[in-house]
Amino acid sequence: MKGKKNGKTGSVLAGQLLVLAAAVLIFALLWSVIWIFVTSRCVSDASDEMKSKMIDVSRNLPFDESSHIVRYRAETILEGDLPVLDGAAALFPLYSAFTEAIYPEESVVYDEKSGDFDPASALQFHNTVRGFNALLDGSVDVFFSAYPSEEQLESARKAGVTIRFVPIGKEAFVFLVNEKNPVDSLTQEELRGLFTGKITNWKQVGGADRPVHPIKRIAGSGSQSTLEAFLGGEKVYTNPLGFMGASIGYSFRWYTTEVVKEGGVKILSVDGVYPDPDTVSDGTYPLSTKFYAMYRTDNENGNIQTLLDFILSEEGQELIEKSGYCRIGAD
Amino acid sequence: MSEKTFNIILFTLLILCVLITAALIVYTVIQYHYVSIIHFIAKEPW
Repeated sequence: MKGKKNGKTGSVLAGQLLVLAAAVLIFALLWSVIWIFVTSRCVSDASDEMKSKMIDVSRNLPFDESSHIVRYRAETILEGDLPVLDGAAALFPLYSAFTEAIYPEESVVYDEKSGDFDPASALQFHNTVRGFNALLDGSVDVFFSAYPSEEQLESARKAGVTIRFVPIGKEAFVFLVNEKNPVDSLTQEELRGLFTGKITNWKQVGGADRPVHPIKRIAGSGSQSTLEAFLGGEKVYTNPLGFMGASIGYSFRWYTTEVVKEGGVKILSVDGVYPDPDTVSDGTYPLSTKFYAMYRTDNENGNIQTLLDFILSEEGQELIEKSGYCRIGAD
Repeated sequence: MSEKTFNIILFTLLILCVLITAALIVYTVIQYHYVSIIHFIAKEPW
């Protein structure tokens, strides 16, 4: 009788322990899925090459011996009312190089402790969204970026501001996937399908049987505006469980070239053309895009034209090329 | 183990697991905010 009771107690205890173990196991499985598919991919272990393409203003300052920008000093330096420069992150090393080329050294004031430029500095960095607003409110004279989004153009219209866009160089809009993704090339129509949800599995474009995970950037960023223009007004498809599938992202070529050499990601050919300097310059790559220097048409600062003349001169275009972009007149 | 003890242990364990999950999600969201898309794609499991 006692033995039977002990046996029953033992089996109850075993059942209880089993329930506890199962609870822990279910959670451990959940943590593993979150960790493998998301967390571990977000924890940065970027190399120096990768970091050099993540815009760190302090490493790309003008008039700094340790700066990563292309060094050039023109014979004629601007004097008087200096146009205040700002722009997109990807173009910061470029307009920092323009600053070093033709601005007086004392015009740039950067506080290393706060990581900000002094409000009186002729060089500023607020990135695309805040920088464009600064152009509208007049605190910035010349703004460098890809063509603005429809929302940004609308906000300019509402503010009663007319902007002149001067194309100064070319870049390629590129699509990226993991290097193990068997797809190497897509047509523009397939790319639109992937980002708008018409194509939801990679096998529909000759790839693996995995869901498509189109990755979005923040609204108003240069690459997001370019994608929206590419999609012709259609919204980017969002798959809540997409992170368990295979991703496709987009960026500008400048950001990706060094990173691609390191492995892990690859750039896709579009319509069978790979975006190398030649195909971007001659326009064979279908998603070559211009970037611009923008200024308010009511801005009467005469130095703006002098700056633009320098940028569009042989010296300025060479600076653009050496900085990793393509000349505007190349096609 | 009595039923009451078992329930207390199970409840505590579940609370602990939920808290760990919440912490992991919060940590992941913070990291995701700062990660570059390129890095995220490069580390995709295949």
